[in-house]
Amino acid sequence: MKFLKIAIKDLKTEFRTKGTVNFLFLFAFLSIMLFSATVEKPEPALLWIVFIFAGMLGYSRAFLREVETGTLEALKISPVSPSSVLFGKILYNSVIMLMLEAFVIPVFMAVFNTYPKNLILAVAVLTAGNLAFVVVSSSLSVLVIKSRARELLLPILLFPVVFPVIISTVQAFSMAVSGNLDGIQGPVSVILGFSASMLAVGYLTIDYAFVE
Amino acid sequence: MIAELRNIEKSFGRFKALKGITFSVGENERIALLGPNGSGKTTTVRIISGQIRPTGGEVRVFGKKRIDEEVKKKLGVVSHNTFLYEDLTAYENMKFFAGLYEVGESRIRELLEEFGLWKRRHDLVRNYSRGMKQRLSIARALLNEPELLILDEPTTGLDVEGRTRLFETLSSYTSAMIFTTHNLQEAEMVCERTLLIKDGRVVYDGKSENLEEIYREVME
Repeated sequence: MKFLKIAIKDLKTEFRTKGTVNFLFLFAFLSIMLFSATVEKPEPALLWIVFIFAGMLGYSRAFLREVETGTLEALKISPVSPSSVLFGKILYNSVIMLMLEAFVIPVFMAVFNTYPKNLILAVAVLTAGNLAFVVVSSSLSVLVIKSRARELLLPILLFPVVFPVIISTVQAFSMAVSGNLDGIQGPVSVILGFSASMLAVGYLTIDYAFVE
Repeated sequence: MIAELRNIEKSFGRFKALKGITFSVGENERIALLGPNGSGKTTTVRIISGQIRPTGGEVRVFGKKRIDEEVKKKLGVVSHNTFLYEDLTAYENMKFFAGLYEVGESRIRELLEEFGLWKRRHDLVRNYSRGMKQRLSIARALLNEPELLILDEPTTGLDVEGRTRLFETLSSYTSAMIFTTHNLQEAEMVCERTLLIKDGRVVYDGKSENLEEIYREVME
């Protein structure tokens, strides 16, 4: 259960400094306001643009902060497995992601005066897609932390890898919003399968990526 | 044998930091790794503590080739990097690491009292002075009562009082120790055996006596 200790430590640090949370919420709010001023008909993909860019900039912070402060070395010398560190970061990012969803979805619905026909399914699909995004960005963060251009490299690597999840989530979310659920199993299976396989890839590669 | 290094090599890109380091550390033995900046002292101890892997040679710590969780439970590391979370309090830092080492909370109090930090345990580490951070870093490294304590230039940034306190603590410590420094007096004071390292190679391995003379002879 050491991954839990790492996640709790990260959440404690984040709620004290609010560096990532403030940025994510402000970015999400400003994006929605900008869309509301320029777009007449809300498309489900718009909501995803908010999550993708907020997540891309925010989720990698969990690992990058450890690198910048030199505390990643503290984790390397401690009796904790690299996979526990990865799962701790995924759990921490998932909590941040759920908070962001809890803020963005009602604001989006209120601003655009729109309401999904199947709200529970829409939120479930969005959460599954976001979770896949968290898994991918957390796993890739480990691979780029040694690079000097890590903040530039992560989005470049992230987009092609996470593309199938984005497409599938937008499809499934659109179906849930419109209430037409025919064929929703396809994109949902892609999201779940992708999350599971990326989790496995992260678990199998982190030992090599973690230690120089 | 606590640690054994045989013909250890480490390259960073084209740069060869270590070119065949060989030495061993016995039980309760205190050895100093002495050498100028960039000679390979820190790289050597980072390999022993499992932070980096060697590109050649063989390292065994507590008889194991892989520096895994079991080995790390017996290690304590102090560095010029404090390895502390600045946005957590001293107590929160200690509690976090105690959790990773599976050490009880009574040990945290014992160490914070010993290092004179108990009264300020609820202060954020970022508000600590350099000396206090280093004391807390040493307390963190001693949480698990390590069988091998690795000190990588621990006096960097410490004032005279901080150094005195550190050496007092080390004198009461009886387990094996590896102490890296570029200060001859510190090596003589803390360790009975010294290894001189130059350009990634061990050029002297012997008693910590007359080091100034030996250093001049070997290094120049």
